[in-house]
Amino acid sequence: MAALRSSASRLLGAAASRPALRAAVAPAAAVRGMAQVADAASGDANLKTFQIYRWNPDTPSEKPRMQSYTLDLNKTGPMVLDALIRIKNELDPTVTFRRSCREGICGSCAMNINGTNTLACLCRIPTEDKAELKIYPLPHTFVVKDLVPDLTQFYKQYKSIKPYLQRDTPAPDGKEYRQSKADRKKLDGLYECILCACCSTSCPSYWWNSEEYLGPAILLQSYRWLVDSRDEKTAQRKDALNNSMSLYRCHTILNCTRTCPKGLNPGLAIAQIKKSMAF
Amino acid sequence: MASIARSSLLRQLASARPTLQTGLVANAARAAAFHTTARKNLLAPLPQTIQGTVNDAAPVPETSPSHGSYHWTFDRLVAASLIPLTVAPFAAGSLNPAMDAILCATILIHSHTGFQNIIVDYIPQKRLPGVRKLFIWGLNAATAVVGLALYEFETTDVGITETIKRVWAA
Amino acid sequence: MIAQRAGTTALRRVAATPNAFFAANTAARLGLAHTQTRPVATQKLTPADGAALLAKQRLARPVSPHLEIYDKQQTWFGGSAWQRITGSAFSGGLYVFATAYLAAPVLGWHLESASLAAAFGALPFAVKGAVKFLAAWPFVFHAINGVRHLTFDMAIGFHRQSIIKTGWYLWGASIVGGLYLAFLA
Repeated sequence: MAALRSSASRLLGAAASRPALRAAVAPAAAVRGMAQVADAASGDANLKTFQIYRWNPDTPSEKPRMQSYTLDLNKTGPMVLDALIRIKNELDPTVTFRRSCREGICGSCAMNINGTNTLACLCRIPTEDKAELKIYPLPHTFVVKDLVPDLTQFYKQYKSIKPYLQRDTPAPDGKEYRQSKADRKKLDGLYECILCACCSTSCPSYWWNSEEYLGPAILLQSYRWLVDSRDEKTAQRKDALNNSMSLYRCHTILNCTRTCPKGLNPGLAIAQIKKSMAF
Repeated sequence: MASIARSSLLRQLASARPTLQTGLVANAARAAAFHTTARKNLLAPLPQTIQGTVNDAAPVPETSPSHGSYHWTFDRLVAASLIPLTVAPFAAGSLNPAMDAILCATILIHSHTGFQNIIVDYIPQKRLPGVRKLFIWGLNAATAVVGLALYEFETTDVGITETIKRVWAA
Repeated sequence: MIAQRAGTTALRRVAATPNAFFAANTAARLGLAHTQTRPVATQKLTPADGAALLAKQRLARPVSPHLEIYDKQQTWFGGSAWQRITGSAFSGGLYVFATAYLAAPVLGWHLESASLAAAFGALPFAVKGAVKFLAAWPFVFHAINGVRHLTFDMAIGFHRQSIIKTGWYLWGASIVGGLYLAFLA
């Protein structure tokens, strides 16, 4: 670790040009991977190329570009996030992405991998072919840097649906709001949503109208509070959705259901909202 | 401590022999030019602006069932009623003038709301309010003209299903 | 610990080499200096300045690619998109025909059903079949997918596998149906 840090500090001094970078990183790899070097020499390296979307806010006039990195999969973990972390540690410390839990519960590493949105930590590196793996930030988002999208609008929309229990009547026993088993069951498949924004940014309607349309993730959350038997503001919640933009820009394209890395069904949740508001 | 000393030693070694490319990772850091289609897009998104701070909720629009739930339900009812109206001429061979006129009117309403949806989807009210208004009123005018034309066609000619049947058989 | 002490003189000698991190770190560890130097400079900003800076950065941000990189099967062969395309083609055709029909007496055109049938009947068989298929396929597609969407609206058929499967059946059925209507009906 210390070795990496020292080379990084050296990088800051240098003009961060590509050859200088490689010279600085190579010895770090040599230190840790003496055995691995021999391994690679024996010729059974399983190379895979990753193409990663790059854009640097420090040079905003430069167009976004794709950069290729080749890794030996025999020395990389099975998931795309493992590869990204290895690229950042050993090849190019300037590659930027969000990650936290590495087990699909935080939703930080949501990105577009080979055309579909998913969590990098839950997505296996495809090993059946040698094709290059393409990694983009979540589609039609404003890019902060490389694979990091700006989700400010997404979170503001989440806040707008009041994602908390609203009720005026106190609990009958003065302790807790009770719920039947059947009512609790209605929340299954909804409460598991981690707000990774994979579904919302897979939705063409959300691409074109993210200013006003709430998008699948927020609508699934909205439904989670609409069906909660303990919530008493169901009518107000429905009124907030009852306009041309918030809910009804959904045209059942269903990219959301197909992309959800947690296996949830935002499309179904939206259909349930529409159905409950129709009659 | 030890690791720092060791790494600096090795680093000197490596800088003396830059060919110590490990082979652990063949870093093919070639940059490919990447084309965003932003400029090709018909209505490319504007630069990002955020109203208020991150902690302010997005504004909630006015409640308007006539543009929301009523509109949606009406759309589905029209679409659903088109199923029997479309199957009937296939089953019966033709339609009587009254049924034919009902089919025409339903198709016209279905087309109108369909076009409305397209306008609402692709012409953002906030960004292009003038264009939105122009298209909505243009659509209203077009639908009125088409309604008149269909009335003419239904009353002076043989009716839409019969026409299609004759052309198909020609 | 003793080993570290023993190496102190050696390390101090190394510290003289021009390596900022190494020197600072060694000095700090050995208690030779009480200040730590950082290679990165920071400056104080008021919240308003910070917000202004962020707003300026936001203006420079690119939009990540979307239609061109998203899974083609979902974006280009999606039932919903083609529902809109086929519907617009039909309704657009209806609007154009109806307007032309209304204007026909003024412009001297003949768009009555009899002359339309006669004109169409005069076309060669292959052209007739092609035109019929181009009309029949979108009709069948829009009809089948319309029913599919109405069932979706009743919150039926949302399993991931059934969405994918019915999406493909839709294409097969509409092409077969279009061919049937064009050449056998």
